[in-house]
Amino acid sequence: MTIQAGARFVGASVKRSEDPRILTGRGNYIDDIVLPRMVHAAFVRSPLAHARITEIDAATAREAPGVLAVITGEEMAALVTPGGYGIAGLFGVDKPDYCALANDKVRHVGDPVAVVVAQTRALAEDACELVEVDYDDLPAVVTIDQALDPASSPIFEDLGSNVILPPSTKVFGDVEAAFARADRIVRARISQHRYQNVPMECRGIVASYDPTSQDFLIWSANQGVQPARQGLAARLGVPVEKVRVRAGDIGGSFGLKTGSSREDVAVAVAAKVLRRPVKWCEDRFEHMCSAGQARDERYDIEAAVMDDGEILGLRADMVVDSGSYPGMGAMVSGLAMEMLPNAYKIGALSFTASAVVTNKATYVAYRGPWASETFVRERLIDLVALELGKDPLEIRRRNVVGQDDHDAVMVTGRTLAGVTNRESIERAAQLIDVPAFRRRQARAREQHRYLGLGFASFIEPAPGPRRTPDEPLGVMGPEPMRMALADDGHLLVYTGQMPHGQSHQTTLAQVAADEFGVAFDQVEVVVGDTDVVPSSLTGGSLSATMAGGAAVVSARALRAKVIAVAELLLEASAEDLEIVDGAIAVRGISSSALPLAELVASARAPGRLPDDVDTTFEASETYDGGAGGWSGGTHAAIVEVDLTTGLVSFERYVVVEDCGDIINPAVVDGQIRGGVAQGIGAVLLERSAYDEDGQFLSATFMDYLLPTALSIPFIEIEHLPATRTDEIVNFRGVGEGGLIVSTPTVCNAIEDALAPFGARIYEEYCPPSRLLELAGVIPTA
Amino acid sequence: MSEQIDITVTVNGEARSASVEARRTLADVLRDEFGLTGTHLGCEHGVCGACTVLVDGAPARSCLMLGVQADGADVTTVEGLATDHGMSTLQEAMWERHGFQCGFCTPGFLMQATALLQENPHPTEFEVREALSGNICRCTGYQSIVDGVLQAARSTTDHPQEADQVSASQVEL
Ligand code: FES
Ligand code: FES
Repeated sequence: MTIQAGARFVGASVKRSEDPRILTGRGNYIDDIVLPRMVHAAFVRSPLAHARITEIDAATAREAPGVLAVITGEEMAALVTPGGYGIAGLFGVDKPDYCALANDKVRHVGDPVAVVVAQTRALAEDACELVEVDYDDLPAVVTIDQALDPASSPIFEDLGSNVILPPSTKVFGDVEAAFARADRIVRARISQHRYQNVPMECRGIVASYDPTSQDFLIWSANQGVQPARQGLAARLGVPVEKVRVRAGDIGGSFGLKTGSSREDVAVAVAAKVLRRPVKWCEDRFEHMCSAGQARDERYDIEAAVMDDGEILGLRADMVVDSGSYPGMGAMVSGLAMEMLPNAYKIGALSFTASAVVTNKATYVAYRGPWASETFVRERLIDLVALELGKDPLEIRRRNVVGQDDHDAVMVTGRTLAGVTNRESIERAAQLIDVPAFRRRQARAREQHRYLGLGFASFIEPAPGPRRTPDEPLGVMGPEPMRMALADDGHLLVYTGQMPHGQSHQTTLAQVAADEFGVAFDQVEVVVGDTDVVPSSLTGGSLSATMAGGAAVVSARALRAKVIAVAELLLEASAEDLEIVDGAIAVRGISSSALPLAELVASARAPGRLPDDVDTTFEASETYDGGAGGWSGGTHAAIVEVDLTTGLVSFERYVVVEDCGDIINPAVVDGQIRGGVAQGIGAVLLERSAYDEDGQFLSATFMDYLLPTALSIPFIEIEHLPATRTDEIVNFRGVGEGGLIVSTPTVCNAIEDALAPFGARIYEEYCPPSRLLELAGVIPTA
Repeated sequence: MSEQIDITVTVNGEARSASVEARRTLADVLRDEFGLTGTHLGCEHGVCGACTVLVDGAPARSCLMLGVQADGADVTTVEGLATDHGMSTLQEAMWERHGFQCGFCTPGFLMQATALLQENPHPTEFEVREALSGNICRCTGYQSIVDGVLQAARSTTDHPQEADQVSASQVEL
């Protein structure tokens, strides 16, 4: 699929430029960074969910072999500037009060209370064991219901209660009229359990401080080096110019490694105190209990429906369990509300949102943080179908928006023009061959085999259309990019995107190569250094549109500059000049071709051009997202539930999707499949578990199960022809959709498989024991 | 500090010596003593497989093996897969099929798959999935990795002289 005349690289599964280093073991991940005189940090972490710290005795630890420093929470409080950390810090959330290290009380198992720095990580860990912390136990607040109870022990005294976001309601359309007119009302309490990102590389940082210049140089595995720099500078109490952040290869994140974490700041402080580089590479135990967890949301939802399946309106009451420290939890409900009606003609919505704090790890962004809206809506549609005795496909068809619905608008405000969900539902149904499946399912049931079919459909704002004409569509505003022509004719692309699996060094090079007129391997995409890259971050599935668009406009601007110089050197007019394959030539006269390296050299030869000609060969442009647009699609799964073991196997998993023009099909398919695998894991295997005392129960990969090559099926993907919503840039993101829509797809298929037992799924987590309960094989716990 | 023990290990065809603390794992020795940071640690408790290396030709979790246990052994790491002539058939196939995304799990999968193809040059898709089921990748959903292994198996059949990619004579890139 080419998107402009002469495109050679966009639309092709170009082999990744990241791969030669990654495949040969020459990547540069955070734990690979070694600096002269570097020492190692480890954290003393709370074994309790909720307790007051009464005393810390670090004297023995300070004397232990190889130990250089122990900094306790109280000491840390004097060394950092108050304010938020992580994503909360990025968005300026500064209440409630807390510090890089717990200094008055601990609020979850794993809460850091002291940092130990020693010659090696092993010695630092040894010394952590010698730090004696006395705690006064407080009652743990573990569930949403406990947190909502005004008598629960307040986790933050300055909040007064454990409700961090008091309930507030917004109404769109005429909700009363919809519910008054409805033939019936379908009600359910639907929840998503707590699970987590689990990148294969844990978090990490290497911080160094130069006492002479008072500059920090920080290596950080982070989704954006500029935001990390801002976060660090704010908590360290220094101007941003005093902090340089670099990042190399990053072993995954999925939303987690955003902003600067409490541990990052503590390590940077230690580097300053010791005047030596300090490395902290989190181990898996720390990661599971402290890096952050996601989801844990509950909805009470009602649908006003007509007997023919039309959904007139929804009433939703959402509560987010945001864990202990401020993170994404209190911010996520706004997007969930906006996206709940999605690509359906639902004319009315009343949405109440609140959030509570509990003694569990902090809520972080995980691939589609607002995904609960799609889980709840797509689950509810199937429950409506059961209530009406109809096929769920029929309910979706009755309400969904398709390409012909030019004037469709989501009741929460944004236009749905151009969405292709009706088309993707029809195509997925066709690929599955629903009538044939239903016959097979009936025959299988006679033999006591339980097959099920589930569909789910969605759109994601990647970036979505504008809400207002001048709203920029990026997470952090318009996307900047800088391009420069190097002396040797290479095109250098400087981006604030910070790839951690997304292949930006390949995809942005494809776009830049086509737009500028060089070969793919003549482009170098530079990332991960605050000294040279502009401000942005990778997140929200926005890079395809925002950075792709920035590459288009920057390449065009640089091309115009090069052509302006060439006009003078070649004595030709701009209209007659073209850049092809790294050389500039008069159109149609190949003998005139001048390699770009020679153009740069001639232009800069003394006296060759008048002094006022710009021979920097650099362009910096920003892209505001253009018209934006949705990505989305429909997933369908055929599963079989084994009633002896409770295990689920997949017969087919089909994806029909539309992400606009595709830059690199293999990259797009990889994003989708990776997301689906995480969704399958979330439903069948993964759970961040706590007991009633707030003890953390899933700190290893023996307790927190991840999908393997045997649990993930072959995933069929079909791309619909894209609707073009913008004149120039029609790339749209696919980062999050695979995970967002796969969890309801799988749950819907399981419920269908267990229909003979009257099963109803209200909770996203469906491990074998739960399925055996639903089928009545074992009693419900 | 615990006792230091002298060991000699053949790593990617080259004899390497180090004096290591008894409690250090083979992964620590490879990464910290020999500077071979291609071997990654994803869990340090034997589940994720990122740290997989070949010890005397057989896949082993270098996070579960002590460095001193490798004394006298022949170890191949991801850095030993490519030769002077370029990447191995498996690496080439992974590049072609977009096997990986973030690349953190990559060394473990490459070593595990290298061992599989040596033992079973023509695996079925199920055999590939089974052989790789002790390695966790969080990014890809596995299909591209499985495709890469199957493609490597096919190319090895097409070019039998390239079949045995790992040998003691290999040098680092
Ligand atoms: S690091 Fe060795 S198995 Fe995970
Ligand atoms: S490519 Fe990221 S974990 Fe496998």
